[in-house]
Amino acid sequence: MEYLRRNRILLASAGLLLCSLLLVSVSVRSPNARDPVGRLLLDALAPFQVVFGWIGRGTGRVWSGYMDVVDARQQNEQLRAQVAALNAQLLRSSELEGENQRLTALLNLRGQIAGSAYGARVIGRDANPMAMMLTIDRGGRDGLRRGFAVVAPQGVVGQVAESSYTASRVVLLTDHNSGIDAIVQRSRARGVVKGGTDGTCRMEYLTRDADVQVGDRILTSGLDGVFPKGLVVGEVVEVGRSNRGLLQAATVQPSVELEKLEEVLVVDPTAKLANEPPA
Amino acid sequence: MRAAAVIGLVAGFGMLLQTTLFHALPLRLRLSPDVLLVLVVFLGLHRHTLGGVVGAFVLGYLQDAASGGAVGLNAFGMVAVYALVYLTCRRLWVDNVLSKVVLVFLAAWVKAIAVLTVSGLFGAFEGAWGPTLGALLMNAALAALLAPPVFALLAMARLPDARDEG
Repeated sequence: MEYLRRNRILLASAGLLLCSLLLVSVSVRSPNARDPVGRLLLDALAPFQVVFGWIGRGTGRVWSGYMDVVDARQQNEQLRAQVAALNAQLLRSSELEGENQRLTALLNLRGQIAGSAYGARVIGRDANPMAMMLTIDRGGRDGLRRGFAVVAPQGVVGQVAESSYTASRVVLLTDHNSGIDAIVQRSRARGVVKGGTDGTCRMEYLTRDADVQVGDRILTSGLDGVFPKGLVVGEVVEVGRSNRGLLQAATVQPSVELEKLEEVLVVDPTAKLANEPPA
Repeated sequence: MRAAAVIGLVAGFGMLLQTTLFHALPLRLRLSPDVLLVLVVFLGLHRHTLGGVVGAFVLGYLQDAASGGAVGLNAFGMVAVYALVYLTCRRLWVDNVLSKVVLVFLAAWVKAIAVLTVSGLFGAFEGAWGPTLGALLMNAALAALLAPPVFALLAMARLPDARDEG
């Protein structure tokens, strides 16, 4: 008796466990039998469930709305990052395309030149605005020497004025120290293209009766021992004819946009151009 | 009587939460923390009377009645949990919040194993074990998380511990 009294909770638990098993057994064997307590509970809970369900759905809608806003914000940030990355990629791609075009043109020019020629990148410009010079990344190490011609696919750039071991300074054809022996392509009239101070050149030492017109193309004559014959120097934009004197001069616009140069070809003075450009 | 009323009130509220609010929340997992289980652990810790064990059975039976499955499964599980918590707290000091959280977590597993075992014995369980165990783990964790507020709520009612001296 004492044992039963002392362990009555455990014994009650065991009894209720057995009772539960009995209930499960009955419930499983007769699944169609209705549980009266279940029905009562259903009826008792139903009105409260309506209210709680309404609260739950309301909370759910507010939560869903909030999550949608959070998702939209995250998506927006992701899309912004994606647009920025794509823009950067586009920029790189367009830069590479431009470089590719320039190098292809340079390579084509290299193919037209018989003799030594070296590709070089422009790495600097002269700090003095009056001096039209630029610096390239090739020097004596690569075989460059003073007097080498510097050209671009559009025409003459200038010549190497000074060469160190790793870099060279190029005096542009627009520099006042520059002089290039040239001819008018149409009439073959000869003169010397010299640099000015305003970014243009002047073709001087043209005889008074030389046939020069605005729009004429000026080519290198090849007689100065620097530039191969037939390279485009520029185009005549103005002809200055005075009433007196034996000579006349013309203003020449260089064919190369010297301010935008990025790559050039350095040509050995002994090299020759395969074909003169068409008129 | 007051204790029965308080526990009945909390049980009714918990059952409503389990059957409505938790299901209405737009959670990706179908989770429903077992509030009644926390109450049974409370009974096992503080109500060492015949009323306590019967209360556990009734709570399990109510859960069965509300769940629509085989009647007696949750009743079995709840009584098993009550008995184990009762035996545990006779030997171990379970008083702080952390130990109660751990106890509820373990109780959730005990109940789940008991229910699944009985279901298996009577052929009432036909689900896959992998997903079932995953869901059980989540629900046990949720029940454990729910334990501190439920215990705090019951502590506010200042129910005295009841023991049938043996």
